[in-house]
Amino acid sequence: MILNMESILLKDNVECLEGYFAAGGYKPLKKALALKPSEVTDEVKKSNLRGRGGAGFPTGLKWSFIPKDAPGPRYLVCNADEGEPGTFKDRELLLKNPHALIEGMAIAGYAIGAAHGYIYIRGEFAAEAALLERAVADARAKGFIGRNILGSGFNFELFVHRGAGAYICGEETALLESLEGFKGQPRLKPPFPAVKGLFGSPTVINNVETLAAVPSIIEKGGDWYAAIGAGKSAGTKLFCVSGPVNKPGVYELPLGVPFRTFLENNCGGLKAGKKLKAVIPGGSSTPVLTAAEALAVNLDYESLAAAGSMLGSGAVIIIDESQCMVKLLQVLARFYHHESCGQCTPCREGCGWIEKLLNRLEDGRGTVKDLDTLYSVAEAMLGRTICPLADAMAMPVMSFVKKFRSEFEAHAAGKCCPPDAAGEH
Amino acid sequence: MPKLTIDGKAVEAAKGATLLEAAQQLGVYIPRYCYHPKLSVSGNCRMCLVEVEKTSKLVTACSTEAAEGMSVRTDSEKVKAARRDVLEFLLINHPLDCPICDQAGECGLQDYYMEYSLKKSRFPQGDKVTRQKRRALGPHLVLDNERCVLCTRCVRFCSEVTKTSELEVMERADHSFIDLKEGKSLDNDYSLNIADLCPVGAWTSRDFRFKSRVWFLKKTPTVCLGCATGCLIEAHHNENTVYRLVPRPNAETNTWLCDRGRMTYKAVQAGDRLAKGVIKNGLIDLEPALREAATRIDEQHAAAAVLGSPWLSIEDNAALARLAAEALKTENFCFDFSAEQGIKDGILVNKDPAPNTAGAGLVKAACGGLSLEEFSRRIADKRIKVVITEARAAAFIKDALKASGARLIVFAVNRAEIPPEAYATLPYASYFETPGTFVNYQGLKRRAEPAVEAKEGVKPLWAVVNKLAVYSGTSLRLDSAEDALKGINFR
Amino acid sequence: MPFKLTEEFKAKAAHICARYPRKDAALIPLLQELQGQAGFVAEEAMDALAQYLELPYARVKGVVTFYTMFNRAPLGKYHLQVCRNISCHMAGAPALLGRLKEKLGIAEGETTKDGLFTLSTVECLGACGTAPVLQANEDYFENLTPEKLDALIDDLKHGKHPLKR
Repeated sequence: MILNMESILLKDNVECLEGYFAAGGYKPLKKALALKPSEVTDEVKKSNLRGRGGAGFPTGLKWSFIPKDAPGPRYLVCNADEGEPGTFKDRELLLKNPHALIEGMAIAGYAIGAAHGYIYIRGEFAAEAALLERAVADARAKGFIGRNILGSGFNFELFVHRGAGAYICGEETALLESLEGFKGQPRLKPPFPAVKGLFGSPTVINNVETLAAVPSIIEKGGDWYAAIGAGKSAGTKLFCVSGPVNKPGVYELPLGVPFRTFLENNCGGLKAGKKLKAVIPGGSSTPVLTAAEALAVNLDYESLAAAGSMLGSGAVIIIDESQCMVKLLQVLARFYHHESCGQCTPCREGCGWIEKLLNRLEDGRGTVKDLDTLYSVAEAMLGRTICPLADAMAMPVMSFVKKFRSEFEAHAAGKCCPPDAAGEH
Repeated sequence: MPKLTIDGKAVEAAKGATLLEAAQQLGVYIPRYCYHPKLSVSGNCRMCLVEVEKTSKLVTACSTEAAEGMSVRTDSEKVKAARRDVLEFLLINHPLDCPICDQAGECGLQDYYMEYSLKKSRFPQGDKVTRQKRRALGPHLVLDNERCVLCTRCVRFCSEVTKTSELEVMERADHSFIDLKEGKSLDNDYSLNIADLCPVGAWTSRDFRFKSRVWFLKKTPTVCLGCATGCLIEAHHNENTVYRLVPRPNAETNTWLCDRGRMTYKAVQAGDRLAKGVIKNGLIDLEPALREAATRIDEQHAAAAVLGSPWLSIEDNAALARLAAEALKTENFCFDFSAEQGIKDGILVNKDPAPNTAGAGLVKAACGGLSLEEFSRRIADKRIKVVITEARAAAFIKDALKASGARLIVFAVNRAEIPPEAYATLPYASYFETPGTFVNYQGLKRRAEPAVEAKEGVKPLWAVVNKLAVYSGTSLRLDSAEDALKGINFR
Repeated sequence: MPFKLTEEFKAKAAHICARYPRKDAALIPLLQELQGQAGFVAEEAMDALAQYLELPYARVKGVVTFYTMFNRAPLGKYHLQVCRNISCHMAGAPALLGRLKEKLGIAEGETTKDGLFTLSTVECLGACGTAPVLQANEDYFENLTPEKLDALIDDLKHGKHPLKR
């Protein structure tokens, strides 16, 4: 496997339109516009590109779900509501290579027959939104966005829309609700967005990283992209690593890279004196891996699934021995409790309950019975709600308790954390 | 028409029907909070989760369309566990204040807990989320947010049915709550439906609160006489007191009931309820009142007249028709009422405030009589000098009466109904106390059934008419409401 | 004083509404505009916006209370939002928060008497690689250390670090 291959997404000197154009940018758009829309979709299908937001759904297939003969408008929406704890890759991409996203959207818009696209960016990213607005304006000024793009007759308008502080809007139907000016509460599915999405019209929603990969796929072909990575996990992925490593940050690597290699070669290993205890491999909602499990796993969809976790958003959270797992789970529970939209009973009530149980365990009021309750509440939430937020709470709870039960039991017995856990309490 | 099986029983569902509806067809009840047949599907309560073969997750029966070949289980261990869990979740932050809750006895939480859970609480009392307790919101409702299960039926009702959109869920997660604009009143014309819709004790009726425990209530199906729409309703009563009226949903007319209709029962128990006759302004016993009325009628025998009423049942109108024909032997009678018919607010309230304009029309068709115009003219011309009618119907001839000074003898249930022109008033039993047939604006015949008994001495109108006829020297031989119809040839 | 939408706002609003096939989709951007002007969204502003967009007031209030970035009351000149999620937590966010509380003499959710600082904790700001992170108004401050934090507060106090908003 080539680890020092050329980056597809994270490149230098492409922040501005001039730099991007000089590096061959917007040529793929021209190429795409000369193809039939279905041919563009076919190329993306061939590439085996999968959604980079977390679910990993095949992108070309998603595009092909747009009903061919549906009258009325269609929409393309970019999900830039990056908020899964541990995830900061889209921000990096937006800052370093915004035109890859814009070009990717123009191509995707052409493929699905959308004349309007929206980039839904989380509200806190004010600076990023401003940069993106400027990039869109630049692209519009050059005729890459707007009416009759490059003389092709294809019209595509693109707007940047800022969120207002709600993690749940990263869920695609909650995002649509929010984009329509409502509370971000996920919709019942079916109907799926491809049939009834934004403003009731067929809609494709893709993550920033997914769309930004499209120009290269069109440029070099689906086969080229499919050959990168590991089998069904094709292409490169942005991995964002946080925690006590020497070089936290965003790395673009082919899927399938062994975690151990990634940790040592890219992240510079753990900081001096720190010992690996656990890894959350794909953002806070993915099941935690023990150090041993993590060191044996490759970073791709299939390997992580086989290890009982998920690639998720590629947010690798490194946890060292000084951290108390009960405390960390409490931090996560506080988050999910705060972010539950409140719609479905199990999530609305369960997230708060879990936080309260963890508060008890963490401040010494907890019992072994509470620990059992904790696990069973998570089980009761799993798979029973409209959207996966309840699962996102339940999965860390179940994996933390299963894999680090002794720490939880120690808390329940009134003892505090393991002796070397020196994290904040 | 997809064919599927639910709990092993085969069913052919209508195209587009949900699993919940298909199950209903089979008589399989699936518990629900947020689902309501007349509101949009929200799918939030998760109480209706069922198992579909070859589907890994449980699905909500309220939102899942029945499809060909589906095999659905509503009674599997997985489903039962899900129901127990959802109930546990709903109850953790619930105040469990059933002893002081008016919903007790008809509460979705109580009923389903008994049916599907019976699990011991694992949640410490002190950890409960507290929310705002009772407060009056509008003329008819009290909201207790702590009891709320956030099913959003009330929110959807206000946005989809009344289209007034007063309510919304504010905030999020387990501290979210139902609210409306500060200082605003929840005063749309259908607000009390919210108390019915609410599956728990969050919304309760100010009128009904703490009046009676629901398990003491007896239920009598009847019809609302608040307007020509003639909604089917149920009167809830105990020990001869009516406590509330609720809609009896039916495909023809109504799912809901308007607030004004709900309050119509109040007249039955009102302080100004007439148990005696009134001559001018003085109360006198019925018999002397009848005698006085009869005397005044006899005085002007040739110029006496009868006006029916769109507020009276067919039977009572028929009794009046027979009074005119057989006792007074006059042609001066009129059952000619017309009013614009039709729903005026797009929901239920009719343009015609009277419940039986069409029913009076049937009496007119059978018995003939004068047009209302001619009847009024004869009063104005003093060819009619005494008019016998129902209190509210007197309004139709108000101007003519004023011009001529003809004597007015009315039948009334409440003192407030008596027009100032009335010389004598005779009390009669309300249709919560005596049966009657009404015809609504759609031409549907509907029965008012007695829920309570009238006070001693207060008789149905036909019986009072019967007595009046006797005082005037004729027997109409009316022993029941139906007797009044005898001899009238309804087409 | 009754709240009135300015002509300037209405002109801008018309422009924003034009991005969507239904103008009520502009609700959140327009609330952001109003908050940008006043620092918070007052009840009267919600009312005025509801009328402008021909929406029920409850819809607007529901939206304002659902999203965390809408302030319903005036805040200090600088809104310090300390991220406390997992990566920032491991990188010392609790100590940072403690330091701020002590330095400013206020608790979470409070504003200093001079009206300069409001202190909040927030969930993941999406900058975990540069934890711990704080957002002051709309600006991010990353890789914070106690020293950097002290310097930031001093700069803000003395107007030496103009924020974008």
